[in-house]
Amino acid sequence: MNKQSLQKSAGSGLVFGIIVIFLALIGFTVVFSGLIQKVLGQSLGVGQIPSISNFFIFLGFLGIWNGWRASRQDKHETLTLAKVLMRAAVAGLSAGVLVMLYGFVVGGLDARGTDMRKYLSMLSSDSIKFFLFNQSLVLGGLIHVGFSTLMALVGGLLAFGSERSQQQVRTNRTKIQKWSQSTWLGKVQGNPYVTYVLMGIVLLLLVLLPRTWGAYWNYVMGTVGIYVLLGLGLNIIVGLSGQLVLGYVAFFAIGAYTFALTTSPEPHNLVWNFWIALAVSVVAAALSGILIGLPILRLRGDYLAIVTLGFGEIIRILLKSDILKDFTMGPRGVRNIAGPTLFGRSFTSDVDFMYLIILAVLLSIFLAKRWQESSIGRAWLAISQDETVAQATGVDTQKYKLLALSLGAAFAGLGGALFASRNQFTGPEDHALMVSINVLVLVIVGGMGSIPGVVLGAFTLKGLPEILRELESYRLLVFGALLVVMMIIRPEGLWPARRPKLEVPVGQDNEPVPLPATAGGEK
Amino acid sequence: MMLEVENLNVHYGAIHALKGVTFHLQEGEIVALIGANGAGKSTTLNTISRLNKPTAGDIRYRGASIVETPPQDIVTKGIVQVPEGRRIFPKMSVVENLEMGAYIFSDRQRIEADIEMVFGKFPRLRERRKQLGGTLSGGEQQMLAIARGLMARPQLLLLDEPSMGLAPIIVEQIFDIIREINQQGTSILLVEQNAQMALSIADRGYVFETGKIVLEGDAGDLLEDPMVKEAYLGGG
Repeated sequence: MNKQSLQKSAGSGLVFGIIVIFLALIGFTVVFSGLIQKVLGQSLGVGQIPSISNFFIFLGFLGIWNGWRASRQDKHETLTLAKVLMRAAVAGLSAGVLVMLYGFVVGGLDARGTDMRKYLSMLSSDSIKFFLFNQSLVLGGLIHVGFSTLMALVGGLLAFGSERSQQQVRTNRTKIQKWSQSTWLGKVQGNPYVTYVLMGIVLLLLVLLPRTWGAYWNYVMGTVGIYVLLGLGLNIIVGLSGQLVLGYVAFFAIGAYTFALTTSPEPHNLVWNFWIALAVSVVAAALSGILIGLPILRLRGDYLAIVTLGFGEIIRILLKSDILKDFTMGPRGVRNIAGPTLFGRSFTSDVDFMYLIILAVLLSIFLAKRWQESSIGRAWLAISQDETVAQATGVDTQKYKLLALSLGAAFAGLGGALFASRNQFTGPEDHALMVSINVLVLVIVGGMGSIPGVVLGAFTLKGLPEILRELESYRLLVFGALLVVMMIIRPEGLWPARRPKLEVPVGQDNEPVPLPATAGGEK
Repeated sequence: MMLEVENLNVHYGAIHALKGVTFHLQEGEIVALIGANGAGKSTTLNTISRLNKPTAGDIRYRGASIVETPPQDIVTKGIVQVPEGRRIFPKMSVVENLEMGAYIFSDRQRIEADIEMVFGKFPRLRERRKQLGGTLSGGEQQMLAIARGLMARPQLLLLDEPSMGLAPIIVEQIFDIIREINQQGTSILLVEQNAQMALSIADRGYVFETGKIVLEGDAGDLLEDPMVKEAYLGGG
């Protein structure tokens, strides 16, 4: 057995030990165990310490990961069972011993009556006892060592097994590809009729589902739809024209309040027709995009982000303030906002709203797609890649940046108006910074510049948290983690924008042939 | 007179980057602006194509002042800049980059014919036409940048440091192509640190130093000038 590779295993084990200790210090061991308990469907009161078994599950995951990582140090070597088990055991043991030492320190201090919350607010006596499995100092520490080693061994075995099966999978994949190309599956791909049929099925679902799945789902999916609208708009601004705008919620607020103030009896007693108010809201948002855009056009990158971030907050604070209280009702918000009417009939049930939102989303997708594929879209793309060069090729960058801002804002205005109308209420807190961040995250996670990406992103980020309601309070945590993970494994997003692919496969006539031979052409 | 620059002054905040630069370019000429880093050569080009705003002075193109013309209209007038540092659109294919170059035109057939024309000049780019700009080699990127400039059918081409960071053999090819473009009727204003190379293809040259023109003359005379030799051609 190679000494160096065991040192590596021990090193990676120590890193894992440090991770566990760190999580314990900030109280995440308790939080995550509680999370597991909730996911498993058991109740947990606020401030209550979760049961030890969930802590084992949590530690188990970390331990398996530790063993998995330690046993796969080098991608190119072939793994033998003995090697794998040895490395996993060393990693598990070193992690466990480190954690045990930590347990001795905090456990010992706690036993002597030192209140560690003075230093770290999460280190209550309860959480320290929890960390030691409610056992004595020595026994708790030994359990850590034993469990960590055991789980690392499991992780090692898993790594060994997956390595073995990987080869098998690779050959199978080629087989499946060949098979699918030779059968109807291959022929079906790229056939326009298939696309039509699929679109037909989607449309049918869009018509049928709102009637069948009940008010709760209409509410959830309506929210998703509104976020799709917001995402489409921000995608134009950030994804296509490349302007990092962080105060997008301002346009949402302007749309919502314009709609609210023109249809609610209070405070202005303007009770406009729904459709007129909707159109006015969209136009107001688009105009605000231009007004905001004009002074900040020269800003790029970080500066633009900071200024627009401030702008979003200013709008919210203004809406909340006493200055505009007579005009916007201040912190109370605007109530009794009108719902949609058509030919004198009112359509305000959840099903009606769902249909309305679906219509708005379909229309917006259609428009966004048209713009993206037109010469406007090309100009945006050029600006986002190199503004100076775009200008040098004759693109009126100011005009197109403003256009992107106002079109993007228009979508937000539409979303805001529908949002206010559906809730029959809107207040300053509907328009907090978190909306901007949510939308930005959904655009990034979905894939910058990609329309299907926006839809997928909205489902992932707005639909999933609703479905996993229990996790709601950890959404910020999940957001952060999701973003980090995305940037590592899929930096281009879930459904990346389609860019021209290399038609000539690398390795044929695309090899880096020495340049001089052909480059100059006729001289 | 194709281009007249008169008493041009440019400030970057408190920095006085151009201090009254005056020069001209006749129809059909190659004029080289040479000088050290930070002498104001690129600033001059950027100001002509209006990526910068002058604080004083005048720029006349075919007799008409273009100081107040917005950058996109400068391109329409036939003045096209190829910016410094092989700036291409990295996430567009070669063909898309060329199409961007023809952004001011809408005649599809004419654009396609022009693409064929530049592929004739740069056969290398034809081989790579579907490849993303960012994946090209340095020399290919510079070729693409020049080719993209040509797509706008320039009458006056502003080239900013086309030799920067390229191997000598590729620099020679690029300069051959520049000469060829000039012979086909495009006037060229060339900014270069590689004075030897620039003066060897230019008709006339201007030497910049700290925002001013300190010397001007025929390219051949400048090559022989003791001061130029001393400062830019590695001694006599």
